[in-house]
Amino acid sequence: MTLPRADGLTLQNPAPAADTLDTSLWVGPPTLGRNGVAVAPRAVTKGAGYRSYEVHQRMRVQQSTEKLNPLRLVSPEFARDPYPTFEILRENYPCYRDWIGNSYWISRYDDVTSVFVDDANFETRPKLWFYGDDAFGRDLRSELPVLFSQAAQMDRHAIPVAHALIDGFASDGHADLAIAFAARYPLELLARVLDIPAQDFDLFVQHYWTMQRGWDWDPEAERDGRQAMRDFANYFRPLLEARRREPGEDMISAIATLDLPDGPATAEDVVATLLEGDHETLHGGLANLWFLLLTHPDQLDRVVKERRLVRFAWLETLRHSAPVLTARRFARHEVERFGFLLPEGALVVSAAGAANRDPRIFAEPHRFIVERKDLCPREPRGQYRADGLPAGIAFGLGKPSRFPALPEDRPRSLYALTRDTAVAASNVLLDRLTHLRLSAGAAPTIRSLRLGDMHSCWSLPVTFGAV
Amino acid sequence: MTQACPFAQTLERTARGDADRSAAEFPLMPVGQACDMGRAADGTPLIDPRVFDSAEFFRNPYPYYRIMRDHYPVFRDKLHNCYYVTRYDDITRCYFDDEGFNTIPKGSSSGVLGNTQLELSGIEHKRRRNLYGQHLVGQSLEARIPIIERLADSMISAWDDLAAEGTIVCDQGGVRTVEIGRAFANEFPISVVCGVLGFPEEARGQFYYWYNSMMSGLGGSETQKMGLEARQDLEDYVQGMVEERRVRPTYLYDRDGKAVGKDVISKLCETKIDGDYLSTEEITSNIALVVGGGGETTRGAIMNMWYLLLQHGDQSGRVLADERLWDMVFHETLRHSTPIGGQPRHNSFDIVMHGQRVPAGSLMNMVDVSANHDERIFKDPERFDVFRPDLYTGKLLRSGFASQGRHSHMAFGVGPHLCPGAWIAHQEATIGSRVLSRRMKNPRIRVDRMPKDVDGISLAPVGLGSVRELWLDYDLA
Repeated sequence: MTLPRADGLTLQNPAPAADTLDTSLWVGPPTLGRNGVAVAPRAVTKGAGYRSYEVHQRMRVQQSTEKLNPLRLVSPEFARDPYPTFEILRENYPCYRDWIGNSYWISRYDDVTSVFVDDANFETRPKLWFYGDDAFGRDLRSELPVLFSQAAQMDRHAIPVAHALIDGFASDGHADLAIAFAARYPLELLARVLDIPAQDFDLFVQHYWTMQRGWDWDPEAERDGRQAMRDFANYFRPLLEARRREPGEDMISAIATLDLPDGPATAEDVVATLLEGDHETLHGGLANLWFLLLTHPDQLDRVVKERRLVRFAWLETLRHSAPVLTARRFARHEVERFGFLLPEGALVVSAAGAANRDPRIFAEPHRFIVERKDLCPREPRGQYRADGLPAGIAFGLGKPSRFPALPEDRPRSLYALTRDTAVAASNVLLDRLTHLRLSAGAAPTIRSLRLGDMHSCWSLPVTFGAV
Repeated sequence: MTQACPFAQTLERTARGDADRSAAEFPLMPVGQACDMGRAADGTPLIDPRVFDSAEFFRNPYPYYRIMRDHYPVFRDKLHNCYYVTRYDDITRCYFDDEGFNTIPKGSSSGVLGNTQLELSGIEHKRRRNLYGQHLVGQSLEARIPIIERLADSMISAWDDLAAEGTIVCDQGGVRTVEIGRAFANEFPISVVCGVLGFPEEARGQFYYWYNSMMSGLGGSETQKMGLEARQDLEDYVQGMVEERRVRPTYLYDRDGKAVGKDVISKLCETKIDGDYLSTEEITSNIALVVGGGGETTRGAIMNMWYLLLQHGDQSGRVLADERLWDMVFHETLRHSTPIGGQPRHNSFDIVMHGQRVPAGSLMNMVDVSANHDERIFKDPERFDVFRPDLYTGKLLRSGFASQGRHSHMAFGVGPHLCPGAWIAHQEATIGSRVLSRRMKNPRIRVDRMPKDVDGISLAPVGLGSVRELWLDYDLA
């Protein structure tokens, strides 16, 4: 059985093969899940309110939850340091029913990764759905020309952007790495990848930042985010037309010249594409990497002496202090997992931050060890177990790629791209700045600024000599 | 050269603003006013979903519900992953649509109360509901009214002994001060339930403890374990009792020692569905529900009735002079301040309501207390008025009541899941209050012992739930 793919290609190897699936209960043709797995069409839900008493009996077997008040999961202390709470969850409640947040928390490594790869049972909902505006635009991130352009432009600009940023503060002898480097680098790079005119950079950053902050629960941020999306679309409209007439190598040109089945890309599609992607892992990952290296001087010394370790430091950072701590998945239909009957539409909060410190998987999980022997040195996709080793889970928020694992006709995965970019930028930093250390009296921390936000270091004052 | 970060300001503002907001509790506002949570571009007030966990919301919920009714009739709360339906007409429609808004067990009560008819739908619900429901209305109830009255009388007579202890009842200068909660309302409804179920007198203390534990475990918090254990103990106890009564049914007796009928458990033991006797497990779960539903809610109703009525001297004067009016007090209290905030439903299909898309399986909270304050239905809804012309005060009907400008309140819901205990709760609360009003001369609130509102002067508002303590003074002579 072959299934058409959204990009017009044909998927030759759907897994599991369709003829081994029991299709007798399907009510229509199968749809294609986001990673190429055939997904059963939604069963007719008419009468779903009717339950036999027997099904109902199973819900009786319930755990008590006295070790963790669900209010703690929305408290400011959780936003500051979630790891103690994660530990309570992971060690006591493999699946914690959070009555206040109306969700199920999954916190063990094997469970979290099993949810991430289970595209047939759990779906990711796009940020536009959280904005309540699915029809705003199309997410074109997975179109091949866009992916190719993004990879080429990131490769091209990764090192020059890092140099340009460091030029700005190298002669000062001190800087705030979190603000001047980690926060700024991904946006500068993105602006180059999109080829945003230099004079528009401030505006671009403002809109982008506001839009990315707005999709979650905060109503004021949501209001501002909606406005930013509209303004952003108005900004991109002439730019998109210009690039359609005279395409360059940048990502907007790639979007402008796409041949899409339902008409050429609009400015709203550009905004939707930017919204669904995000800079958080690169921003938070860089900030946390340098926070961890600077607060572990022995590890920093080793990395300075042996540059091949930068890459391992990055991977270990994403395990030890992933910036995105939880990812939301929704049950596509009623499914029995983790001892619970998860109803259709149930919100499953997969706590990657808890899984990354699961002592069942990682020895001494709270320690930051650059040359960790039990960490997979490949892309941190969570489900990877190359050489039998687990990877840290950091990219939980992005939906899984719908492309096969090792194709020849697609660029490096976004995970690898981000890793290579972060490593390149960090190497430039090490090349340019010597005797890098925390400023006297500085006591940097990692925290979320707002409940549910990225968990990252927001201020990292350092002193250095310059080459 | 220092290169200014173009969004350093944004970053700093964000960091500063968010730090402030998470540290700050929501300010306690004057009752009836919502705190400022920002406004949309067109001036519409915004709702910060964190307010639902705040102390401010618990004591002063109505202005927030009004914003929701006026601007977000189906409010999407992304922090708590649910939706709130707040208008009277919408809630009524949803309650009647048993298929579109189902009750399958996803609520926090399911662990503690067990499998109950709260969480059944369709034919299964209908069959069981009628089984239990029939014991709480009509002739079966009429037969119990003398027992209820006698119970209330004996509890009040016991105050004379309590006065000697001087804690919850104390006498001074011809005035008796009594805390109605501990001295009456806490135990009265649960004793009635015990009587209806035919629990032996000596087991009531234990029973009362189980009941309290189950109630505090309902929220799904750290006390849930206590609730689950109490539930298990109750179940073990009732199970033995059920098995015994299958063989030897027990009877209720009236004042003259004449058997008026079997108690509910004995009746359930001989009931069949589709030719099969009910399982012990099934009987137990629903007894647990009767315990939960029949105790706390009625306690809250009695407390709120007296608290609200005595704060309105003109109305209390008329009611205390004419005890038939207690039915109206009951209904207006349940409209104005219901002890139960609302009921959860889950939509079976993808729907769009008032422009809000709701995917199938979402938790939709039907906010009964908001329906009761819907100014589209009740004029000047924040005002407590026993003689309100737009409130129906007759016997609650499953179909609800709406005619000639009168609507029933939503405290018992409507439709297939209308509270089966509505009528017995009504009887308990009004009979209890009548007996109280006969025995207390010139009752008034003992203001200095009552919790105060934020200003430190006026009495605390009821808010969500019910008053925990109610100190009254009355003249002994």
